[in-house]
Amino acid sequence: MPNKTRSLLSIPVMIFTVLLLCNTGYSEVTPEILLGARGIASMNLDYTPGGGEETVSDFSDTSLLLGFRQKLYSNYRGTLVIGFQFPDEGSQLEPILFHQVFLRVEDRANIFKIGRTRVRSAMIEFPTLRDDDAIDFTDILNPFSSGEDSEDNQYGNIVEATRIFGQRYRLSAYGEHLRNETEAVSKDFGFNALGLSFQYRVPESQRWNREVLNQIGISLNAALTDRSGYSGELDKALKSITFSTVLNIRPDPVHFWDLRHQSIFNLGFSETKEITDYADLTRAKSISTFTSIRYLYRKLERPALQAALSYGYKTFPDLTNSSSQHQLTANSFYRMGANFDAGVQVSYRKNTGDLKRLAGEHETEIQFALIYSIEQLWNSQFDDRESLLNLEHGYIP
Amino acid sequence: MTRRDFLITSAALSAATLLPGNLFAETTKRENSERFPRQLKPTLEGDVKAFRLFIDIHQQELAPGLRIHTLAFNNQVPGPEIRVNRGDKVKVYFKNKTELNHTIHWHGMHVPWRMDGVPYITQMPVMSGQEFVYEFTAEPYGTHFYHCHWGTLLHMQSGMYGSLIVEDPDDPVRKRFPYEREYTLLYSAHDLNFLRNEINAMLERMKERLYLVRNGRFDKERFAVFDTKEELEEAVRNGYQPPYLVNRRAPAELAQPFWFTVNGKSYPSTPNLYIREGETIRVRLINSGTEEHYLHLHGHDFWLVCDDGIPVPQPWQMNTIRLSPGKTFDIIIEGKNRGIWTFHDHDTRRVTNNGLYPGGNLMALVYEDLPEEERRVMPMKGMNNLIPKVALDE
Repeated sequence: MPNKTRSLLSIPVMIFTVLLLCNTGYSEVTPEILLGARGIASMNLDYTPGGGEETVSDFSDTSLLLGFRQKLYSNYRGTLVIGFQFPDEGSQLEPILFHQVFLRVEDRANIFKIGRTRVRSAMIEFPTLRDDDAIDFTDILNPFSSGEDSEDNQYGNIVEATRIFGQRYRLSAYGEHLRNETEAVSKDFGFNALGLSFQYRVPESQRWNREVLNQIGISLNAALTDRSGYSGELDKALKSITFSTVLNIRPDPVHFWDLRHQSIFNLGFSETKEITDYADLTRAKSISTFTSIRYLYRKLERPALQAALSYGYKTFPDLTNSSSQHQLTANSFYRMGANFDAGVQVSYRKNTGDLKRLAGEHETEIQFALIYSIEQLWNSQFDDRESLLNLEHGYIP
Repeated sequence: MTRRDFLITSAALSAATLLPGNLFAETTKRENSERFPRQLKPTLEGDVKAFRLFIDIHQQELAPGLRIHTLAFNNQVPGPEIRVNRGDKVKVYFKNKTELNHTIHWHGMHVPWRMDGVPYITQMPVMSGQEFVYEFTAEPYGTHFYHCHWGTLLHMQSGMYGSLIVEDPDDPVRKRFPYEREYTLLYSAHDLNFLRNEINAMLERMKERLYLVRNGRFDKERFAVFDTKEELEEAVRNGYQPPYLVNRRAPAELAQPFWFTVNGKSYPSTPNLYIREGETIRVRLINSGTEEHYLHLHGHDFWLVCDDGIPVPQPWQMNTIRLSPGKTFDIIIEGKNRGIWTFHDHDTRRVTNNGLYPGGNLMALVYEDLPEEERRVMPMKGMNNLIPKVALDE
């Protein structure tokens, strides 16, 4: 271990020891303990011309989260979350990825977060089997990645501050360190991406208030890349604008329909006129959209059946060779019991122009999956910011 | 300063802050009088006494620094006291201002059966925005109470209870023990996590259900309400999973109360009972909660005079009384031993706040004419020598 790293590590060890000594003889405040687990196991059949890959058992994105939360002396609450997941098949990452390791301090209107977690490359989630099933369309791609691991686009080290106005408006500013594979060994963990987002969002607990507009948001992101021939930071930054919305088409408790849409405008670098590798893909000017329409049947006040159809389209207007990506995904999930689903997903992807060289012309994949997901809380002690009592009957810190 | 010193100093400062100045001051006594149920004034509709109750979600401070969401009649926990004479014709207009269902059960009263307030057995639930009118004749005499009978475990713990006193001009207790002052004490026990989580869950469910009901889409299986037991059994044979099964939504465990209140307050916010030397007071004890309480008065024996509102044939003396859930007792305390005496649950688990002693249903019998010189004890450094203090961490 390098001396510098060792000396840095000794500081938290020392602080912990001091805290431990200070607490000797006093009873500890028992925290709330949160356990989140999600298991996804699927059998994948690939019908790519020329021979696709079949997977007997794909358990990627299976994850375990452990959280601790307690009230602080002020009206703030402090949270620690540690979680790991299994990366995609064939990933260059370690067999287990610690994708969530962060601390959060929050009160009614402010949230401060620091650590490794989901980066702000997407504003909303879509009804796909796995979070990264349409990542070329749903996320701002990480320009520092080699493109081998979709997790590079999803997780990173972040510092984020959010201010909530009137329960539903959120303004967030964040700095991120996206996983950087352009260096053999990452030496610098400074910010390499910055962003700002603003959104209106109806809290989950109020979904049956039956409002049509559930979410609308915009975010501005800048990846602090190197760009040959430019020295100004603003010129070197790879900028993108994201717009998202979720509409409750039919907010009925039994037969529920909603529509999700997100568009990402990657302003790109004007000198990128062709895509030969992943770096070009992330730096070429592009417009990507992804839209899902979802039907949810809720029997006995619990989800029973869900079906969704999603379409993604991405175009690269500045390329010499007209290029685009398309993806059509249909899936359905049947709830076998509380938290336990069986599902099937069919995805068809088509690439044109330069993208054919990079990702093949087209691909069809069928996945049969079982999914188990739980969230369990022990030692419940206080209410959530977005509970109905706190939202509609006065907030209690 | 060590952490322990800091805590000790903080506790002392808190105590100084919470100390009600002077227990014997008029302002203190006035504040104390507000810790008993407020009497609800009736209007006269001919020869009928009409009362108006509403239910809404309210915030209640159990003890300094601890506020919770409650269900409250007329924004009070406990609800206002209804006081009538035996034989009065009574009408209670009950308005539901919440998004939850409710009823009112008149505990101990001999009301017509369709006024008994049991949902789906004696009446349909009073749904959001609805009003139901209860009508009955005030019988029998004595100390009774009212409470919600919908989701009873949750709604009672949440604050939906209040005293109902039926007086008799020819009061047998007053004849035997002439008294001027009387006090009503409603005991309850609360699992705050259960309350918070279940009310939130119920509010969410009811948002769904109200939408369906308004659209005429009542579904027996979804609402878990069947016309007959045979209908339920038929549904189960066809694959219906009742909500009490663990694979539906039965909770992992029953509510475990860890806050204990008298008139909606925990020590040090509990009310005190004032008495004078030579005076006789009547105390009406009502257990509107789920726990048993073994109420013990220091320095005195008291007379048990009524059990469930019914005068006992022969009052007898004791100093500890077992108050079970749903019970009411009337006791008479005679001012024969001046001082400041604690009156508390002798199951001392209930004299705690969040597991810390002292707290809960600890209160005091205070002789308001206690001579000045008897209110002082040996001083402790940093504190004056007046007692009682407010201690929070023993």
